[in-house]
Amino acid sequence: MKKNKIPARKSPKKVNPPEKVKIRQLPTGVRGLDEIMGGGLPEFSFNIIAGAPGSGKTTLAHQMIFANATAQKPALYFTVLGEPALKMLRYQQQYSFFDPAKLGEAIRFINLSHVVLEKDLSGVLEEIAREVQASNPSMVVVDSFRTVARKAGGGESELRLQAFVQRLALLLTSWEATTFLIGEYSEGEIHDNAVFTVADGLFWLTQNAERNSVVRKLQLMKLRGQDSVPGLHTIRITGDGLQAFSRTLGLVGKKTRPARPRRLSSGIPELDKMMGGGIREGDSMLVAGPSGTGKSALATQFLAAGLRHGEAGIAAIFEERPEGYAARARVFGLDLDTPQKNGKLEMLYLRPLDLSVDETMQEVLDAVKRINAKRLVIDSLVGFEMALAPGFREDFRESLYRMIAALTRAGVTIFTAVEIEDTFTAMSFSHYTISFLTDDIIRLRYVEIDGQLRKVMVVIKMRGGNHSKDIREYVITDEGVVVIGPRQTDYTRLTTGLPERIGQLKEKAPEAKAKG
Amino acid sequence: MSDSATPVPKEFARLLLAYEVASDKPADAKDSVAFRVCEKLRGPLGKLMGVDGFRSLLSRALALACGEVPWLCSLEIKADGSLVGLDELEAKRDSRAVAEGEAILAGQLLGLLVIFIGPALTLRLLHDIWPSWTIEILE
Repeated sequence: MKKNKIPARKSPKKVNPPEKVKIRQLPTGVRGLDEIMGGGLPEFSFNIIAGAPGSGKTTLAHQMIFANATAQKPALYFTVLGEPALKMLRYQQQYSFFDPAKLGEAIRFINLSHVVLEKDLSGVLEEIAREVQASNPSMVVVDSFRTVARKAGGGESELRLQAFVQRLALLLTSWEATTFLIGEYSEGEIHDNAVFTVADGLFWLTQNAERNSVVRKLQLMKLRGQDSVPGLHTIRITGDGLQAFSRTLGLVGKKTRPARPRRLSSGIPELDKMMGGGIREGDSMLVAGPSGTGKSALATQFLAAGLRHGEAGIAAIFEERPEGYAARARVFGLDLDTPQKNGKLEMLYLRPLDLSVDETMQEVLDAVKRINAKRLVIDSLVGFEMALAPGFREDFRESLYRMIAALTRAGVTIFTAVEIEDTFTAMSFSHYTISFLTDDIIRLRYVEIDGQLRKVMVVIKMRGGNHSKDIREYVITDEGVVVIGPRQTDYTRLTTGLPERIGQLKEKAPEAKAKG
Repeated sequence: MSDSATPVPKEFARLLLAYEVASDKPADAKDSVAFRVCEKLRGPLGKLMGVDGFRSLLSRALALACGEVPWLCSLEIKADGSLVGLDELEAKRDSRAVAEGEAILAGQLLGLLVIFIGPALTLRLLHDIWPSWTIEILE
């Protein structure tokens, strides 16, 4: 039987699936906000900027329009029974982003007060439509939209308002405008609100007075079409306008630490040996000890060791002025002045008392980026916390965790000094309970031996490998911290601070005793 | 207080009025030059600050100008922000006095703008209305 030849099956032609729509992102003009928004403002989005009076709503809108408006793609700014336009211009021009040259052609202010007072919502919409069609704007702001919404009144007219917002959103989106409705709203008004339902993006601004400081926050409660960073982000209003501090501190997706991290010298050869060869590159090391045990001296030696190897460093100091810090380093024969002049070292003196933890960390991060720092000293954690506004202190641990994790991931090695009180019955590492965010811990403490208050150190933890378990005595000389050679220890219970002699070894005190 | 800002805008206003006189006024137009300047300002400023906003500003400028030129006190401002009665008042006075009065009124109005939004933005606004008029006196 003749077999019918079955035609060879043609492999299906590969057809690329149609591309998804790409949403272009516009710059917000607000430092830190693009990152919080997941890249920028979604083009043609319909947004609400809500918050209490004075929370920065108008300034935020102004920054965004000044960052984007051009004569070809202008912005329309409708003002409605709120802050008089003349006063708005008077105040807003104080900000550095305000460019008078943009007024008129690129940014056009239009007062709608009389329309809102005299006409119904349809009339308001008609007026907005007329202006939009005449100018073909790329951005539209209605400030304050709350006033327009009040026109609808309550009860049954809620539906009327929803219809108005819907029509407004349709109009402005069809005309390819990115829109911002500004309004004073309280958190209780979020639910079942017609305006919020229609919006693609909801910027929520708050400001709360806590003790003597004001804490400003921004939350993106809603943002359609792109991943934003969730949570409350600190904002600050300065002469440059709003600045936002992302909870991720702008470090998302930064390169990870080297696969084979080097061992970095602490500047003290004996200590390097105790640590199994030095500090692992990209580690976070906590050095804990009471006042006078030499934490800052160790920190200085750590920085100087890096500088000798061409590694730039940052010293974020909170308890001492940079001049004093550098002067003390000179006593140990370490020069911190020249590297500062050469751009290899920055000393950040941060004691503003009303900074948020994120702002402070941003300062540190900016400096790290500026000089491509490989080593960072935080001296000290107690001072750092005290430099923050009281309202931010409860976020301290969480923010510190974020910063340390992000920086070490990027390969920066961090030395954090923390002052702790010595008790003579226990040996704590830190009252912050932050050991979870450190790779390595070194504990310094006083011990009473033979009528002298002497100092010992011990490496408690080295995440990257083995380390010496010895408790080693050290002194601070004009060379800095000097670790004394391995002891023939004949004391026990050194960690209590009140050791007991168990041997009869005759030893010489490392620092001469007074002769009576 | 606007007095401190008055001298420069007054001189500035004089130049603006002179420019307006020399510009596009139709030969048969009867309006005073100050009226025309105020009318030209009324549109864009009304759009910027609302009709009520412009009316308030012009009322204040008129009140300040009255202190210097009493005959201006008889002028009225309508609800839409336009001036009434300037031509009739000017018909009774010599041209020098009229020019002085008009410059003072326009100067006070510009002076208020300078006080509130500063010279840069005031110039920017004026440039939008009189694009071919270039002057740097406020700078």
